[in-house]
Amino acid sequence: MVTNEDAARLITAIKTSSTYDFTDYSDKSFCRRIEKILLDNNMDLNQLIHKIGKDKDFLEQMVKDITVNTTELFRNPEMWQTLRYHILPKFKKNRSIFIWHAGCSSGQEIYSMLILLNELGMFDQAKVFATDINTDMLEAAKAGQYKYRFNLGYLDNFDKVIKENPFNFEDKVDVPYEKYFDIDKVKDTIQMKPFLREKAVFRKHDLVKDGNVFYSKFDLIFCRNVIIYFNNKLQSRVIDMFNSSLNRDGYLILGSHESILGASANNFERSKGFYKKKQM
Amino acid sequence: MNDYKAIMIGGSAGSFQVVSRIIAALPANYPLPILMCLHRLKHIRSGFVEALSIKSKLPIIEPHDKEPLKAGRIYLAPANYHMYIELGNRFSLSTEDVVNHSRPSIDLSFFSASYNFKKKLVGIILSGANKDGALGLKSVTDNGGLTIVQDPKECQVPTMTTASMNATKVDYVFSTKQIIDFLLKLA
Repeated sequence: MVTNEDAARLITAIKTSSTYDFTDYSDKSFCRRIEKILLDNNMDLNQLIHKIGKDKDFLEQMVKDITVNTTELFRNPEMWQTLRYHILPKFKKNRSIFIWHAGCSSGQEIYSMLILLNELGMFDQAKVFATDINTDMLEAAKAGQYKYRFNLGYLDNFDKVIKENPFNFEDKVDVPYEKYFDIDKVKDTIQMKPFLREKAVFRKHDLVKDGNVFYSKFDLIFCRNVIIYFNNKLQSRVIDMFNSSLNRDGYLILGSHESILGASANNFERSKGFYKKKQM
Repeated sequence: MNDYKAIMIGGSAGSFQVVSRIIAALPANYPLPILMCLHRLKHIRSGFVEALSIKSKLPIIEPHDKEPLKAGRIYLAPANYHMYIELGNRFSLSTEDVVNHSRPSIDLSFFSASYNFKKKLVGIILSGANKDGALGLKSVTDNGGLTIVQDPKECQVPTMTTASMNATKVDYVFSTKQIIDFLLKLA
């Protein structure tokens, strides 16, 4: 078992050998990830610390292994329904809508958003930016290809958000999957269409040390199930950075069991799990 | 009695009725936090809290990340998240890979709670169809806490309790009624 003291030693070693700083990561999850890395590499903590001091590639790989990359197409359909019927219509008349997916992982959230925007006739006005600390994930997001059989839930989620209207059960539209992605049951893949894949701008980004690296402010910032891996202090810092990166009337969208704690909460109005920037 | 700080309950298939009975028996002024990690079907995310709340005199909460833990509340691990207790008595959530085919994983919740509360934790394993929770209950023993399993003879599915009894020497094998009496005596 990796203790908090072990974690502290490793974090110091990583800081010495790289620009990564895990000091303000959440203890329990961080320790769990390290336990898994030790097990997978059949090493003890001292061997791991020794190895990252002299093997840069290994260290980069370890950083990738520390980050968690769970995501789904239309994860939490209720959130996407709220977005569809209550939030996005407010932006429809704007000439452009700027969107940042912070911690985009393998990209399912980006494609969910693009599909929804297209259904609402808002695709062309959207400027979409996506970042992650893990370059392997950025490549996966760009590729937009996912396993089919393992992810049958994606299709259920798609039906709930795109085909059905939870506020009017008679309002059903038939949108074929092939409009947005091709399913190949032999190859066991779901492949997003090129017009979706070409839309977003991808960039490597570390929320611990990088601020808003884009020359723009945003109407929507997604950061779902990312800051759960940070402690309170780092959470507040990142939330404040998001706040200053939001346009007037912009929204921050967190995971279903994340919330803004402490003084930073005063900068937002909370409604249906969405955080709207307050006018100061 | 030892001055326990928290009670953690793990359960899976066949545990819903047992949990309902336990919850219904606790008074509104129950002084300890109850932490529950129960497996549920992945796509049934809503309705579970409401169903449990009907009979409960205590508030039932699916905690948010970094929420401080308070006495007199029943906390339920949210669907599709692992639930940890951090030092300083705050929850933290994680979406990392499933463990024992489960998220939430009972083992992971017990590991973090026993590390945090040491001998001040009561760990209870109920009916369930897999062995998630067995190593977790062992960690409660290893940290000096008190362990209880529902009597396998009474369990709808005894896999989880039997695996727990194989993994560690449990303090008590109790019927649901005995578990309730024990919890009431702690108050």
